[in-house]
Amino acid sequence: MSALNEEYVETDVGKVQVFRGGVGPPLVYLHSAAGEAVNPTAEALTEHFAVVAPVFPGFGESEGIDTIDDMEDATFHHLDLFDRLGLGAVPVMGLSFGGWMAAELATRYPERVSRMVLVSPVGLYIEGQPVKEIFGRTPAELAEDMFADQSHPMAQMMHMLSEFRGDVGQQIEVPMELVMPIWKSMSATAKLGWDPYLHNPRLRRRLHRVTAPTLILHGAQDTLAPKAISEAYAEEIPDARLVDVDGGAHLVTLERPEEVAQLVTEFIGP
Amino acid sequence: MRFFSFHLMPYSDLPTDYDGPAWVTVPNEFYDPALGSQLYNRYLDELIYAEEVGFDGVCVNEHHQNAYGNMPSPNLIASILARQTSRVRIAVVGNALPLYDPPTRVAEEFAMIDVISGGRLIAGMVVGGGPEYYSFSINPADARERFQEAHDLILRAWTEPGPFEFIGKHFRIRYVNPWPRPMQQPHPEIWIPGAGSLETVEFVARHRYAYMGIPYFHVSVFERMFRMFRDACEAEGYEADPLQQGWLVPIYVAETDEQARREYEEHLWYFVKRLLPGITIQPPGYTSARSLGNILKSSGSFMLNLETWEQVVDGQYAIVGSPETVTDMLIDNLGRLGTGNLLGLFQLGTLPHDLTKKNLTLFAEQVMPKLRAEFPEGQPVIRPSATGQVA
Repeated sequence: MSALNEEYVETDVGKVQVFRGGVGPPLVYLHSAAGEAVNPTAEALTEHFAVVAPVFPGFGESEGIDTIDDMEDATFHHLDLFDRLGLGAVPVMGLSFGGWMAAELATRYPERVSRMVLVSPVGLYIEGQPVKEIFGRTPAELAEDMFADQSHPMAQMMHMLSEFRGDVGQQIEVPMELVMPIWKSMSATAKLGWDPYLHNPRLRRRLHRVTAPTLILHGAQDTLAPKAISEAYAEEIPDARLVDVDGGAHLVTLERPEEVAQLVTEFIGP
Repeated sequence: MRFFSFHLMPYSDLPTDYDGPAWVTVPNEFYDPALGSQLYNRYLDELIYAEEVGFDGVCVNEHHQNAYGNMPSPNLIASILARQTSRVRIAVVGNALPLYDPPTRVAEEFAMIDVISGGRLIAGMVVGGGPEYYSFSINPADARERFQEAHDLILRAWTEPGPFEFIGKHFRIRYVNPWPRPMQQPHPEIWIPGAGSLETVEFVARHRYAYMGIPYFHVSVFERMFRMFRDACEAEGYEADPLQQGWLVPIYVAETDEQARREYEEHLWYFVKRLLPGITIQPPGYTSARSLGNILKSSGSFMLNLETWEQVVDGQYAIVGSPETVTDMLIDNLGRLGTGNLLGLFQLGTLPHDLTKKNLTLFAEQVMPKLRAEFPEGQPVIRPSATGQVA
C-alpha cells in the first residue's frame, strides 16, 4: 500500500492524475521521463510533508498532451495545476526532466517556488557534454546509464524489455501492458525534448531570476546527464548548492530514497 | 496491370567487419565517392534500361544518412530521368513531406519534374521512415500533423489560383504562388506508401489516392494491409480501383530456378543482413497508440528476421526463379493481394549490373506479357478463390 493516493484534477488541458499523501507543509514532486510520480523518495517524504506528485499530460492516465507543444505550454500547465490545487508559493522538487520543468517554472514565476530541489536535472546544454541519447537506444542500454545497481527491479524490467524490441523484433508476443506506458512516456517526453534535445537554449540566461534557495543533487554514478549540467545550475542560480549522492546513477530518487529524502527534509525544513 | 522498376540505389561495399546499423550512425567514412560515382551512373542506366525493355514506369525514393538507399534527394534523380527517358511514368515514392520547410518546395520541384517530363510524374508523399527523424531532428511527435498540413498546402498550391495565404500550425506562408504549375491537371497522380498504419490507410482512401505497400513483410501482412485498404475505401462509399494499390517486392528471374537462387542469394542476404539493420527504429510519438499494436505484431515477420532461404520462399519475401516460376508466383500473389501496380525491385543489395540487366530483360520478355494477359488493365485483379478463405 503506497503512502500516496491517486486523485484526478480537471485542468485546462484535461483530466490530470495526481498522487498525494502525508500531512505537513506541501511539497511538489515532478517526475522524470520515466513517469515515476509514485516512487520511494516521494513516499518517504510523506513522513514530513503533504506530498503532491502530479502526472504530466501524456504520462500515465493524464490527458492533454495534444494541447501542450513546448516547455512554455508545460509551464502554463503547472501554473494552472498549482492554482487548482490551491498551491501558492511551495517547495518544488523534480527529477531529470521534472527538474528541468521546475527550473522553467522558477525562472518565469519565481513567486510560486519557495524552495527548489533539482535531482539529476536536464534542461541545459553544455558544449561537448550532451545528455546521452534516450530516444534511440534500447531499454537495456538506458538502464546501464540510469542505475548504478543493475539488480534494481526497474533496471531488471528494462533489461527484460529489450528482448521485445529493437531491430531483431523477434517472433514473440509483445507484452503491451509493459510497452504501452513506456511508449506513452517517451512520446510525451519527445514532444518537449526532441528538438532542442532535452534543453532550452534560453533557460541558462534566465536562471538568475530564481529566488528560491536551491539544492541540486547529482547521482555520483550518473552516466546519462553529465555533472556539468548540475554545476551550471549551481553556478547560475543565485542561492544554490550542489551535493553528490553516492551509490546512485541518474534515477537517484528510485535508487537512494533514504538519502535523498533526508537531504530534502533537512534542506526544506519543517 | 502496370509494371514499375523500383531502384533503391544501395551502397554495395560496406566493410565486411562492420556489423552495425546501415542507418543514421553508419560512419560516412565508409562512403567511397569514386565507387559512388560508378554506382549512381550504373543505377541510372538500369532505370533507363527499364524503359527500353517495356516497363510502364520507374520508381525512386527518399532516404537520408544511410547505406540502404543513396537518394537523399530523389527529385534530383527524377529530374535526370525526366530528360533521359521519354515514355515511362516517373514515380517519386515519395518526398518525406515533414522534412521540407516550407513544403511548397515539394510543390515546386514536383511541378518542375512534371513539366520537364511532359506530364509523366507520379507524386509520392510519405511521412518518412523512423530513421529520418533522427537524421533531421524533426520532432517525430509532430510527424503526422506536419504531413497532413504539408499535404494540404501542396494540394492547394497546385489547384488553387495564387497568391493566397496559408497559416497553419507548423507552416506559415503569406504568399503561396508557386511557379511552375504541374502539367497534369488538376495535379499528378498521388501515391502514398504505407506499412499498415490505420491513419495512413484511411487518409489514402478518403482522398482516393493510391496506397503502396511498403515491402519486406510476409505476404500475409500485405494481404491484411490491402484488405484493410479496400475496407477503408468501402467505408468511404466506393470500391477500390486496382490501380489504387501497389505491391513492392524484390524479383529475380534467371534461366532456371536453380540458377536464379545461385546467382541471387548472396546479394539478397547482403541486403537483409547489412542494409536493413536500423531501418525499423521507431522514434517516440511517431506512431499512434492504435497503430502501435499492429506494427509490433507485424515486426516479427519483418524480412530482417529471416535466417533461411526456405523462409524467403515461404513468406514470398522475394520472388525468385525461372520465368515460369516467377510468372506463376506473381499471378498467385497479385490475385491474392488485388493490386493493379507491380513495383519490382530488380536490383537489390550487391546484385551486379550484368545480372540486374539480365533480370530486367528476362522479366520484360518472358514474364510481363503473360501477366499483362492475365490481368488486363481496367479489370479487377483480386481473386477471392486464390486466397482460399477471405477473412
